[in-house]
Amino acid sequence: MTKLTVTERQIGLIICLVVAAIGLAMAAAGRGEPFGVQGFTVLLLALALSGFIIARWDAPPPDRSLLEHYYDDPTKVGIVLTMFWAVIAMFVGVWVAALLAWPELTFDAAWASFGRLRPVHTSGVIFGFGGNALIATSFHVLQRTSRARLPDQLSPWFVLIGYNLFCIVAASGYLLGITQSKEYAEPEWYADLWLVIVWIVYFLIFVRTLARRKEPHIYVANWYYMAFILVVAILHIVNNLAVPISFGSAKSYSAFSGVQDAMTQWWYGHNAVAFFLTSGFLGMMYYYLPKRAGRPIFSYPLSLISFWGITFMYMWAGSHHLHYTALPQWVQTLGMTFSLVLLVPSWASAGNALATLNGAWHKVRDDATLRFMMVAAVFYGLSTFEGSFMAIRAVNSLSHYTDWTIGHVHGGALGWVAMITFGSIYALVQWMWKRPAIYSPKLVEVHFWLALSGTIVYVFSMWNSGIIQGLMWRTYNENGTLAYSFLDTVEAMHPYYVARTFGGLLFLLGAIVGTYNVLMTIRQARLERGVEAGGEVDLPLGRPAAQPGE
Amino acid sequence: MDVGRRDPVTGRTTTGHEWNGIEELNTPVPKVVLFFLAIGALFCLGYWLLMPAWPLGSTYTKGLLGNDQRRIVDQEVATAKAQRAAWLDKIQALDFAAIKSDPVLMQDVTKAGHVLFSDNCAACHGIKATGGPGFPDLTAKSWLWGGEPEKIAETIGIGINSTNDDTRVSQMLAFGRDGILDRQKITDVVTYVRSLSMPDAGSVESIEAGREVFAGNCVACHGKDAKGMHEQGAPDLTDSHWIYGGTLQDVYSTVYSGRQGHMPNWNARLTPAEIKLLALYVGQLGQAK
Amino acid sequence: MADLHRKLERSAIRFMLAIIAVASIGGLVEIAPLFTIGSTVEAAPDMRVYTPLEVAGRNIYMREGCYACHSQMIRSLRDEVERYGPYSLAVESKYDHPMLWGSKRTGPDLARIGEKYSDAWQVAHLNNPRDVVPQSIMPAYRWLLRTPLKTDDLGRHLAALRTVGVPYTDEMVANAPIDAYGQSAPDDDKARGVTERYGKATHVRAFDGNPGELTEMDALVAYLQILGGLTDAARKTDQTALGE
Ligand code: HEC
Ligand code: HEC
Ligand code: HEC
Ligand code: HEM
Ligand code: HEM
Ligand SMILES: [Ca+2]
Ligand SMILES: [Ca+2]
Ligand SMILES: [Cu+2]
Repeated sequence: MTKLTVTERQIGLIICLVVAAIGLAMAAAGRGEPFGVQGFTVLLLALALSGFIIARWDAPPPDRSLLEHYYDDPTKVGIVLTMFWAVIAMFVGVWVAALLAWPELTFDAAWASFGRLRPVHTSGVIFGFGGNALIATSFHVLQRTSRARLPDQLSPWFVLIGYNLFCIVAASGYLLGITQSKEYAEPEWYADLWLVIVWIVYFLIFVRTLARRKEPHIYVANWYYMAFILVVAILHIVNNLAVPISFGSAKSYSAFSGVQDAMTQWWYGHNAVAFFLTSGFLGMMYYYLPKRAGRPIFSYPLSLISFWGITFMYMWAGSHHLHYTALPQWVQTLGMTFSLVLLVPSWASAGNALATLNGAWHKVRDDATLRFMMVAAVFYGLSTFEGSFMAIRAVNSLSHYTDWTIGHVHGGALGWVAMITFGSIYALVQWMWKRPAIYSPKLVEVHFWLALSGTIVYVFSMWNSGIIQGLMWRTYNENGTLAYSFLDTVEAMHPYYVARTFGGLLFLLGAIVGTYNVLMTIRQARLERGVEAGGEVDLPLGRPAAQPGE
Repeated sequence: MDVGRRDPVTGRTTTGHEWNGIEELNTPVPKVVLFFLAIGALFCLGYWLLMPAWPLGSTYTKGLLGNDQRRIVDQEVATAKAQRAAWLDKIQALDFAAIKSDPVLMQDVTKAGHVLFSDNCAACHGIKATGGPGFPDLTAKSWLWGGEPEKIAETIGIGINSTNDDTRVSQMLAFGRDGILDRQKITDVVTYVRSLSMPDAGSVESIEAGREVFAGNCVACHGKDAKGMHEQGAPDLTDSHWIYGGTLQDVYSTVYSGRQGHMPNWNARLTPAEIKLLALYVGQLGQAK
Repeated sequence: MADLHRKLERSAIRFMLAIIAVASIGGLVEIAPLFTIGSTVEAAPDMRVYTPLEVAGRNIYMREGCYACHSQMIRSLRDEVERYGPYSLAVESKYDHPMLWGSKRTGPDLARIGEKYSDAWQVAHLNNPRDVVPQSIMPAYRWLLRTPLKTDDLGRHLAALRTVGVPYTDEMVANAPIDAYGQSAPDDDKARGVTERYGKATHVRAFDGNPGELTEMDALVAYLQILGGLTDAARKTDQTALGE
């Protein structure tokens, strides 16, 4: 904060006050309704932030020498926010998992029912946990690989805080009953619009930093981060087109309906997976894994194939969510075929990551942080294989609507997304707070085993329940009638729901241990401030790199 | 091509670029990757030729196989129907007594009946058909509309107080709410009715007073002996089975506010043979008890 | 090829344009033709729109996240057709903004739940599923019975739906709150307008069992009871002949 220039403080305050005014208007328009509560939330957060700025108004302006260093404060805050969302959202995950095993484990209150909590979990993990991790790491990676400082000090804060405001408005909205019901795009029109603004600024940070880069070439990690930012913007804008019933109400109606809406939604939904949960995290992997392993990327040509393969083919695959539905069959064919070929660039990425570890396998053995990243690459390979398999119409006729999908999701989400994030964060925390090591490498080890066993328990129980459920639904007696009623399958799922809750609990415990470890590392750094004990060796800013052969 | 440093571990050269210490090797794309890309592309081409695949303005390529998921399932369902016809047609054709005396056929009834019942009826009547508050116990043999399988099948088909035009219609009047009886009279008749199946339901005076109220108001439907009348769908009040509960409070509410249970008609959702099969299944449940 | 890329990766703007170009193709090819190919949405002349009460119920269905556990899309597979009824047609969700096809079946498909059970059962089940289905893991929605339905802005809901393509008439928009009330009060004068505007087959009943009070339960049950009932198209025997 004290690093902000006076102009930046002024603009920051103005933005806060504008947002506060919007919050006030919303609160007034939606008096006595959930929309009003959303307005109040916005108002309070904006006022609190204004107060924060005003309290530091008189701090001396920063000195110019600051510009010779990378700007990492937003990344630091982003790391803490990432861990915070991880714990909250996974706690809700365990809760909804428990609700399916013990439906009475709730209150007689609307906000506490499964249907409202579930999107809190999904948005919380994907956008809260995943999104903050992507923003925090992308700022870090962008600067190092461009050898350029972020273009200014205000816009990264705007992105980080604005984005978290979006997450808070979204999650609290679900509890209040505000939702568009589109999976992974549930927030209503005003939150959607706000995210567009935040995203444009995020995009501009990338463009402006890259424009000032000292490296002639753009590094692969940034290709992925750029694809993530750009494509998510396209998906978000198209899928969320809607007409509000008035500007004073939360409710809107989607521009699309029926079959066109279904295709648009799953074009979005599938590519939210592709560009949010895959591209973005591949960007993360492309920096932290080689860096931590101290090895060069295995193959640049392979990076090329996987990047463009993924970017092109993923966008066709969404219709595999709609096999055998009222969506015309020709679209299903395209979705299935592209999903199958998609496996090649996907495994190329996973293979590229694993082969990068050649020459560093001893480190994988000893260093749980690197092991997190290694296992993440393995799970990435597994879940993309599984995904391509499930995209086959015949397989999907069994797996769709069942817990198999949930198992696939969490193989990807826990095994790939969460593990690569934890690995990267452990590496990053140490560099950001300039520590020779994390507070407790032992606890990283504990976290690793909790996470791995939790994932395995979760995924295996869902595979079991999903396949059993799918088979029971279509089992026939020899006289040609259905052998099981729907209720039979509900009862058969119970043991698996209990097991899943347990697996999730292990994973959550791991995340809590990790958060503690991160916070203690930060605390240690504070206590021993001035003792610059180590950390990442950054090449200096500004000096153009010599590029042999050019 | 850039020629960078040679990596001692793999013996490959790097691309010559470096980003904050990260380098890339120039390892060529492994052959398997290209191989599988080619296989994948070939598969796609073949699949697109055979299946409906590409949009063309206002139509799409139908594929050489003429594959259509809707026609396929229509055919599958028809084939399955034909397969089931082997025994389902018998159920359709034979009368109830004949089916009941055929143990092989009755096995099919039980198997098919269980799932049909669980998916359609269990929501109200319970998975064991023992009913619940507001929904009659079908194993109790205390039939509202008659327990002959023909009657049961008819009930299932047209429903009770349902939206079907031919529905069975029944109604327990709201004696209290509509001001037909005062509170005292209702209390008395409730005591009387309860005393029919519970010895210590209340004082003798109340029971006697209730008997008179009953004779004046209820016999038209429930009959002189209170054993119910199948023509009205009025239940037997002398057995210990209650649709709406037998506590003082429950029976009082029944008489005060009336009742009109709604059993959906199934002739729009199930075939006549399935309904017949369910009637047999339901009848059998009572026997098993 | 690699050399070309070497050039591309030296320009952020060109790289980004390349990403946008490459990523746009799939969506364009798969989504745009769904608006131009006539057979995508079958013809169904008897298709009617949701009444205001049903719209309100649909919004409650979304608000409570029922779609997280229930699909409304019977796939063209034998077991689904035999368990749930005729497979869903595109036209059946033509007025669904957004569609609620769902992606998970923790509970059964609801595409044809309309009129399968009685109103009283739906009310009892929503109030606490385990009262009627002891094995159920569905949440209890007790607050629906005690929360009055908000109807004053239903006209604006219908108007917004008309903007996105649902053929509501001016009269329907103007009478939305009255019709919502009328549909759940069969003996009230207001009930007549509902059948006039939405057709004789519209369910006009005291859905929650209490005609005097319009609750959220009324709306949700009204919506559930019309599922699969907006058009008869899917029940016509030769489904494939439709729209082709
Ligand atoms: C929505 C709830 C509901 C469903 C579903 C339901 N029933 Fe019923 N059923 C009732 C009610 C309520 C009654 C009693 C009506 C009354 O009280 O007059 C009844 C009565 C009956 C009776 C008449 C009993 C008698 O004593 O005459 C039969 C037989 C029956 N049901 C069978 C079935 C079968 C078979 C199915 C499935 C195909 C089924 N029911 C589904 C609610 C339901
Ligand atoms: C118009 C015909 C009619 C008259 C008159 C009538 N009943 Fe009924 N009664 C019925 C019907 C039909 C039912 C079944 C309602 C249902 O199941 O939904 C019923 C049900 C009942 C029940 C509930 C039984 C249970 O299992 O829960 C009780 C108790 C009862 N009547 C008592 C009386 C008494 C006492 C009177 C006279 C004061 C009376 N009825 C007069 C038709 C009548
Ligand atoms: C946690 C998952 C879950 C949620 C959320 C949920 N349900 Fe259910 N639902 C179930 C299960 C499981 C069943 C099957 C057991 C039963 O009948 O209760 C079911 C059954 C039903 C049925 C009966 C279907 C049939 O054919 O028997 C209806 C209707 C229904 N739910 C409506 C709703 C509505 C409306 C909501 C939202 C307000 C909702 N459900 C929310 C899990 C859920
Ligand atoms: C503590 C660990 C977790 C637990 C216990 C958990 C539990 C659950 C449960 C119970 C559901 C609902 C499944 C259903 O409806 O049947 C769910 C859905 C989901 N979760 Fe998690 N989860 C966890 C972690 C995560 C993480 C880390 C992510 C992503 C990064 C994630 C992403 C998702 C997604 C995308 C869905 C929706 C799946 C779908 O609709 O198909 N979860 N989770
Ligand atoms: C080659 C890559 C992949 C393919 C082809 C693929 C394919 C699929 C398929 C076929 C489904 C089931 C759709 C259905 O039946 O409803 C699915 C669901 C899902 N997948 Fe993947 N998958 C891939 C990779 C991943 C990865 C890496 C993740 C990371 C987390 C992921 C997350 C999800 C989620 C969240 C869903 C649930 C969507 C929903 O129904 O809500 N997928 N995927
Ligand atoms: Ca949205
Ligand atoms: Ca889903
Ligand atoms: Cu997908």
